[in-house]
Formats: sequence, C-alpha cells, structure tokens
Amino acid sequence: MEKKQSWDWNTDLKEIPVGEWKARFNWVEELNISPDGENIASVVNVDEAAFKICVNGHVGDTEYEKIWSLKSLPDNGFAAFVCADEEWTLIVNGQEWSSWFDFIWDLHITPDGKHMGFAFQKEGEYGMAIDGLPWNRVYSNMAGMTLSNTGTSAAVVQVVPMKAADVDGFKQGLFSVAVNGNTFHNTFLNIWDISFDRAGQNLAAGIRLDREAYTIVKNDVIWDRKFQGVWKPIFSNSGNVLAPVRDAGKWKLFMDNEPFWKKGYDQLWKITPSPANNDVATIVANHFGKWSVAVNDKVWKMTCDTMISDILYSDNGSCLVAVLKDKGLWNLAVNQTPWNLSADKVFTPCISPDGYLVAVVVEKKGKFHLVVNNKIIAGNYDLMTTPVFSPDQSKILIKGVEKGVYKRRVISI
Amino acid sequence: MSGNETISIEKSTDDAVENGLSRLTPQRVSHVINQVLHQETGARFKAYVDTCMRCGLCSDACSYFLSNDRDPSFSPAAKVKQTIWEMLAKKGKVSKDFLRRAVHIAHLECNVCRRCSMYCPFGIDIAYMMLLVRRICHKLEITPQYIQDTVNSHSVTMNQMWVKEDEWIDTLQWQEEDGREEFEDLRIPLDKQGVDIMYSVIAPEPKFQAGLIYQAAVIMHAAGMNWTMPASPGWDNSNMAMFTGDNEISGRIARTFFESAARLNVKRIVMGECGHAFRSTYDVGNRALSWAMPPFEVVHAIEFYHELLTAGRISIKKKFTKRVTLHDPCNVSRGRGLHNMARKIVNMTCSNFTEMTPNKEHNLCCGAGGGVVNCGPPYKKERMVNNRVKAEQLAATGAEVLIAPCHNCHSGLEDIIHHYKLNMEVKFLGDILFETMEKKIYRPEE
Amino acid sequence: MGPMVWISALICIFGLLVKFILIIKEVYEKERYLLSYITVRHSLRSIIAWLIPFYPRSTRMRPVYYGISYLFHVLLFLLPVFLMSHIVLINESFNLSWPAMNDTAADILTIGVIFALVFFVLRRRFIPDVRFLTSFMDYILILMVLLPFVTGFLAYHQVILYKWIVIAHVLSGEVLLIVIPFSRFSHMITAPLTRAYTGSEFGNIRHARDW
Ligand code: SF4
Ligand code: SF4
Repeated sequence: MEKKQSWDWNTDLKEIPVGEWKARFNWVEELNISPDGENIASVVNVDEAAFKICVNGHVGDTEYEKIWSLKSLPDNGFAAFVCADEEWTLIVNGQEWSSWFDFIWDLHITPDGKHMGFAFQKEGEYGMAIDGLPWNRVYSNMAGMTLSNTGTSAAVVQVVPMKAADVDGFKQGLFSVAVNGNTFHNTFLNIWDISFDRAGQNLAAGIRLDREAYTIVKNDVIWDRKFQGVWKPIFSNSGNVLAPVRDAGKWKLFMDNEPFWKKGYDQLWKITPSPANNDVATIVANHFGKWSVAVNDKVWKMTCDTMISDILYSDNGSCLVAVLKDKGLWNLAVNQTPWNLSADKVFTPCISPDGYLVAVVVEKKGKFHLVVNNKIIAGNYDLMTTPVFSPDQSKILIKGVEKGVYKRRVISI
Repeated sequence: MSGNETISIEKSTDDAVENGLSRLTPQRVSHVINQVLHQETGARFKAYVDTCMRCGLCSDACSYFLSNDRDPSFSPAAKVKQTIWEMLAKKGKVSKDFLRRAVHIAHLECNVCRRCSMYCPFGIDIAYMMLLVRRICHKLEITPQYIQDTVNSHSVTMNQMWVKEDEWIDTLQWQEEDGREEFEDLRIPLDKQGVDIMYSVIAPEPKFQAGLIYQAAVIMHAAGMNWTMPASPGWDNSNMAMFTGDNEISGRIARTFFESAARLNVKRIVMGECGHAFRSTYDVGNRALSWAMPPFEVVHAIEFYHELLTAGRISIKKKFTKRVTLHDPCNVSRGRGLHNMARKIVNMTCSNFTEMTPNKEHNLCCGAGGGVVNCGPPYKKERMVNNRVKAEQLAATGAEVLIAPCHNCHSGLEDIIHHYKLNMEVKFLGDILFETMEKKIYRPEE
Repeated sequence: MGPMVWISALICIFGLLVKFILIIKEVYEKERYLLSYITVRHSLRSIIAWLIPFYPRSTRMRPVYYGISYLFHVLLFLLPVFLMSHIVLINESFNLSWPAMNDTAADILTIGVIFALVFFVLRRRFIPDVRFLTSFMDYILILMVLLPFVTGFLAYHQVILYKWIVIAHVLSGEVLLIVIPFSRFSHMITAPLTRAYTGSEFGNIRHARDW
C-alpha cells in the first residue's frame, strides 16, 4: 500500500512508443508491464539465436541464446529465464543468479516480491531453487511446485523408483511431498494441489491412497476419512484445513476431517476464505451444468451455464466477485448480481479494498476495454493489463497499448 | 486374408490382470459389481438391459464380429450377455475366470466405437455398458497393464506418457527453433495470456512425433493466428482414464485441461488430430465435472483446417497427387459429425481421392482408439485378427495414401497395414496440408 | 365375457404407465444430467427415421428379418383392435364401436403373425449370433404371443373343442396383457425412450445420424 502511494498518480498520460521496436529488432515478443505502469518490457530477437530484454526501449549488452517466461515483479522490475551455453538461470532486473541448470521453469514470486523460486532439472534430476539456492536433495521426478508467501517451497516428488509400466510398483505409492527439499515420511499414489497457510508453516494437499480412496494430508498426517475424490484444500484464516470432498456421490465441504457445510453439491471447488472474516466462498454447481457461488453453504440466487473460472473477495470481505461465462460469453457477477459485459474474454478483476469499486479489462471483437462498476470507461485498446486503483480510490491507473504506443494513463473516477 | 487365425489365436495374459485377480476376494468382487451396477447407474442402464430383445441386429455393426467370421461371441449384445447379464443374474458373485474373460471382452474385444447403437433398433448403447465393465475392472484393479500405466501417468503428470514438465517445454522450444527454417520469426508462444487460441496436443506428440508440433506451428504462423501452448500441465488433451472407467482421474484430467484455458484467458481451444482426446474434451471429461458442455469451444483440427482453408488464411500451392483414401475416426465422425468437413479438406488438398465404404458415420472402426491399442504389445496379434474387415476395406480402395485424422487410428491402421502387407502410407490431414500449402504469411488485405 | 379381460387390460396400461413414471423419476433422481442432452427435435428425428421401413442401414442389412418383424409389430396391434369379434364385445360392454377388418383378411393376417412367430423361433435356432443370445425365456415370450393368435385362429374356424379354445384364447390374451409391463415386452415404452436418448446424443451433441 505504501508503495502504491509513492507511484505517480498525478501525470495524466505517459507514453512509450513500442510499435517502433518492431523495426529495431527481428521480432518482439509479448509485452509485459510493471505494476506501477512505468516500465514495459519484452523479449526481443537481435540476431540468430540471440535475444535480449528490451525495457522502455533500452536493451542491455548481454544477449542470450534463449529467453522466456518474462515476468514483471512487485518492485516494478522484471525477471526472466535465460540460457547461455545451453545452461539456464534466472535474471532479475538484469542480474543473473549464480547457479545455472540444465533447464528451469515455473517461476514463482511471492506477492511482496521478497522471494522467488522455480523448478530446475540438472543432470536428469529435479528440485526447486529459491532465492538463488537450489534444494539440497534432488529427485527423479517432480510436479506441483508451490511457493508459500513466506518463501517456503514444496513439490510432489518421486521417492521410490519405478520400472517402466510397473503398475504393481505404482500401487505401493511412490510419491511424497518435499518441503524445502526434504520429504515427508509417508508416500502416496498421488499428491495434488499443495497448499500453504499464510505463514508458510503448515501445508495440506489432496492425496490418493489406492485406486479409489482419496483424502487430505496435512503436514504428513492423513485424515481418517476417505472419499471418492478431493480437490485443493485451503487453510482458513484460523489455520483449519478446508477441503472439497466427494462423499456418497456429492461434493461437500469438510474441515479438519469433519463435515463443515451441510449441503452436498454436484460440484464444489476453489475454496476462497474472506480475507476479513470467517466467511468462506466456493464455486459450486448446485445442479448438473448450473454454476453458482456458495457463501457459507448458501447458494447465490444466480446461475450460469458455462463456467465460473474464479471468485475474488475485496480486502474488507464486503464484495465477492465471480468471473463467469454464460451462454458462451464472459461476464462478472458482483455480490450475486451479474453485469452485462457479454465479452469474448474477461481478465482478472481488480477490487478496491473497501469493495465499492470493481474494475476489469474485457476483450470484445479483438479490442480491449476497461469496465468499472459495469460501465466502460476507456476502450478500443489493442492490449490492456489489469488496472490499479489509487490508494484514495479517486483515480485508476490504466495500462494499455493503442496503435503501437504504450499509454500509462491516470484518470479520475 | 488370413481369416483362420481367429480359431488359433491364443488369448494373451497380462501380469496386471493376473496379479489383480489373485488379490481379489469374492466379497470384494460382488461388492464392487453391485455397487457399480446398482448404485452408479440408473434407469438408463435398466432400460438397456430390459429393452434388448436379443435380436442380433447389432451384430453386423461390430468390426470384431465381422472380422472373426461372425463368431457369435463377438456380437455386441453377446458381449453384454457374457459380462453384464451374468453379473446381474449372479448378483455379482462371479468367478475369477469369468472376470478374466470380462476384462478381455471389455478392453480388447470392444473398442467402444458406438457403431452398434446405430444398428440396434432401440439405440442401445453397448459401448456405455462395456465402459461400465471397464469401470468394474478398474475398481477391482484388474485393468490391463499398459493402459493402466497411461492412467497412472495421467494421475501424476496430467499427461499420458510420463512426459516431464521440462521435456515438454524443451520440446516446444526446440520445435520452434526448427520451425525457423520455414519462417525465420516463427514462434510457439508459451503461456501467452489473452490470445485467441490455446493449441493442445496429446502426449505422444512431444514424446515421439514432435514434428507434428512443428507442422502445427508452421500452419498457425502462416495463417497469422494469435495462439499459445501452455507451459504447465494441462497441455495434454488425451484421457485414458476415460477408457479404463477411472472417472475420477478422468475428471481431474479434464479439469486441469480446461483450467489451463481459463488461466490463459483464451477464446477457444484448438486440438491436434486426435479422436479420443476430442471425445474426452468435447463429450465425456466435461460431464464428469458438471460441465454440461465443454466450458471452452473445442475445435478439432479437421474443423480448424477447414476454417483456415475456407477463410483463405491458408492457400494450397499444389495439390497432392497420389491416390488417397480417407478413414473417418469414430470419435470425430460418429462423435461429432466432422466427416463432411474432412472430405472437403481432402478435396481441397488432393486431386485423386477414393472413398472407402462404408464411410462417414458408418465407418468401420480402426480397432485402436477406444483404448484397445493402449492395452499394448501383448494384444497386438489379436488386435490384427480382430481388424481384418478394416484391412479388406482399405485394400479395396487401391489407394497409396491413407489419411486418418486421429492419432489412435494412425497407430491402429499402421499396424493393420503392416500386418496385412497393404502397400499404404498413413498420413494426417495436417501432413497433407503442410505438404501442399503455400508457405507464406497470411495478410488480410492481400 | 368376464371382467378379467378389462382388469388385465388395465393392468397392462397402468403397469406401463407406472413403469414409465418410475423410469422418469429415477432419471430425475439419479441421472438428471441426461435430461440436459435430450431434445424433442432430435428424439423425434431418430424415432421417425427408425419407423420408416428400410431407412436405417441396419435394417437393410437384414431385410428379411426386419421386413417380417416390421409387419409383425404392425399386425400385433392392428389385428386385435380391428377384429370384428373384438369390436362386437367392446360394443356390448361399452357401446363403442369402430369399423372392423374384413374377416378373411384378418384370417390371412393372423396366419401371417403366426408365421412371423415361427420364423422368429427358427431364427433363434439357426442364426448363430441370435442363437447365442437366446435363452429359454425368449421362447416363452414367443409362446406367449403365439398362443392368443393360434387359439383365436382356431376359435374363428371352430375346428375343435370350440368352448375350450375360446377360454384358452381369452386366458392367453389376458396373460399376455398382464405380462407386458413386467417383461421385456415393455420395450413398447422403453424403446422410444432409449431411441430418444440415443437420437439426442447423436443429433444434438455429436451432430451425427444414428440410423
Ligand atoms: S461399441 Fe463398437 S466395438 Fe463395441 S460392440 Fe459396439 S460396434 Fe463392437
Ligand atoms: S440390436 Fe439392440 S436389441 Fe437387438 S440384440 Fe443388439 S442390443 Fe439387443
């Protein structure tokens, strides 16, 4: 928040011509814009197998054989995976990490930007590297890499080798969870969806114990009850583990091994605890093919037929937004009321901390528009990224590209 | 052709099936059977069982029946008789020998091609019932080894072939580099948000046929599409769990797939030439999750190529001149009615096209795509015998090139061609398009 | 004419009705999702396609069986309903009547039905795949249909034991009516349902024909 205060909220318009980059380089890849909108960057090709990162039109001296996964950082800089002499590392604001690997992918950055990590492969073995340090132990196989808000890393790793197509071997359970590189004692058939609590001290995951029995593991302790299926568990604000489980043919919400909500649903996933209180929201299908949102086991009065892709709370918990698709078109619903966006695409909404304002970028017929509280307030961009409200909520920062020019605009609302 | 093999063929054994059987107790067997047949089904199943008049009209639909010289035990209804009817009559108290045979019937002698429901006057869906038997086998852990291994792979990696995450990305980057020989600025955009198309393939492509990704990239680039491929799990559209009756893993695969598309904010999903993957994403996997229809438009390559050609985004430089014939994959013809579009593409790209008969919805099955080929090498010989009619049908066309817009059909048909010594080359529609297209970038104003 | 005829007719009609309701109820409770795929248009499309003689490819592949079977089903309904002696009885009880079929025609058609049933038996004996599917029950079912027609034929011609034959005719007819809802004869209501569902999945979802 303090950071946001220091951003420039007074200049109406700043422009950076990006269209001309195309003439300077062989080709320009995806544009990436920093949270404060001051920096725009892209991977550019300068020669055969020679790439650089162009930030606001400037390129550094170092070129790499390959660059990918360029991402903006909370501090408004950029990070990317780079390859030189067939070895890979991460560069953060132009600085290379000291360890190099055979391959790296899946970049994770904590929301405060203090920690960064990725998955690596070195000589056919796998691990994660966090803040420049690779795990001490590596594994033959790895999936589901996760980084907590505090920089704790975890992944599903294979701890028992398996011969090709050995289904009886698989039955024994070959996988475990590695936290900062060290594994749990238990092994399972499958582990999915590792989830940390806020402090990054406890973790939970969905597991499969045999062909049919699914349950939840928390810090290497398995729930007693077994289910027909589980989705991603989430820690509540008070540190309890909430999980969607399929029990007697219905999806239900359980907490710490016990039923939490009473109702059973045709589908239930994406548990979203309110940041401000004890409310819990989930995406549900009350009946087959009819999607809605349930808050504390009460279903919204609205349904949509295609999909709800995400639900988000405002910081104070007063506003709950669902990103949904109905009859093939994208829309938002805010506190049970659908908007009328009829968009081809809807991007991640931005909600003011007090929950009064909801802003979202939509795409219709190839053009991007900014919608605030169901009204288009800026439009016809060729590209636009998620906007930001000013700390006093009187202004909004728009970051978009129009006719080859990147425009950072601040407008009052 | 060697029809007499039918009699001499020995039914192969499979360690996974045998070990599984040895672990079973009678209680578990009857419990699982009754649970699946009584709790997991409803009026539809009962109606199928009660309505069947044992008339045998479905027999002529089944390529297994036809290839085995009309051996009655291969008739679709006979497969139900030898599995479900008996399970019901005995209230689930069936022997291990019975189960061994049931595994075989449901996984190797029925390709769940759904042709028989077009031949039964009541439209009874025998494939559905064979999938119920497969589900029972899944729960009893007596699914054949190789297909089970693919499901295990799905459950761990969300792809069918144990392709590791780095291998996937590395393959795409390497195909991108190769593709630059065609177009120097060609890209395979990874994880690019907000594009129009997420392009997805099945795991055998990066594993064994990376060239197909290269071709697809060239086609996308030339057509000027705004597209991406996911850099994390969810890129594989195949789903073998759907064919072993592991509906839970099947649902998880489909969810991961569609959530990739949601994460990338794409408008629609285009997929390579695979039939079973289309069935999973368009028809089956979504239903397991309460998505009545797929949450993103799923466009099969046939539809996509048709769109590119008719919109003029791809133009044909010189038609393919060898004599070609076209195999209609069950899962996109009977499964989506794309057979007419496929013909249009063939006519637009080839100058010498011979139809095989029967065709379109009535196509004879390749004997592979319903999970049969995935049961692996132990059953290959048998698969060839069970597919004789397809070989005869192919031979009758006299074509040099067989176009099959489906991966599983490809594998099945290649085996058939080899076994029956038919002098034919199997190609994808994409291969033909790649060979015949003008390699220039589409500009709307031109 | 005892009340048993009407009772068995009611059992048949109500039995089928209840069966129909139970099926719909079970679909609602356990597989409601199926309903979201069914459309009237595609259901009818499929049912009609299958009612047109020799339109579906399947029926053209076994034309003799299909032809006989088609006529058999038509006659199975037409004959009892338009038979003069049945209409007379109904008229006596309910004072309802409708035009009757010529007796000679009815006679010939009855022989036709009997031949069809004999053909079904032979088919079950001699066509290997059908024989494989056949169980004892299938012959019982055929017999149940055969009896009312044979006894009716004999009664009409008053060949032997007229009184007994008439009783046998009435009884076998009643048994058949009662058995319909509780046996595979109930395909008269389940078949349109399975056809409608398959027709909808093919037509509505898979955009393909199912005939
Ligand atoms: S689904 Fe196909 S393979 Fe299976 S019984 Fe029917 S026709 Fe034969
Ligand atoms: S055609 Fe239909 S009714 Fe006849 S035997 Fe086959 S499944 Fe049964």
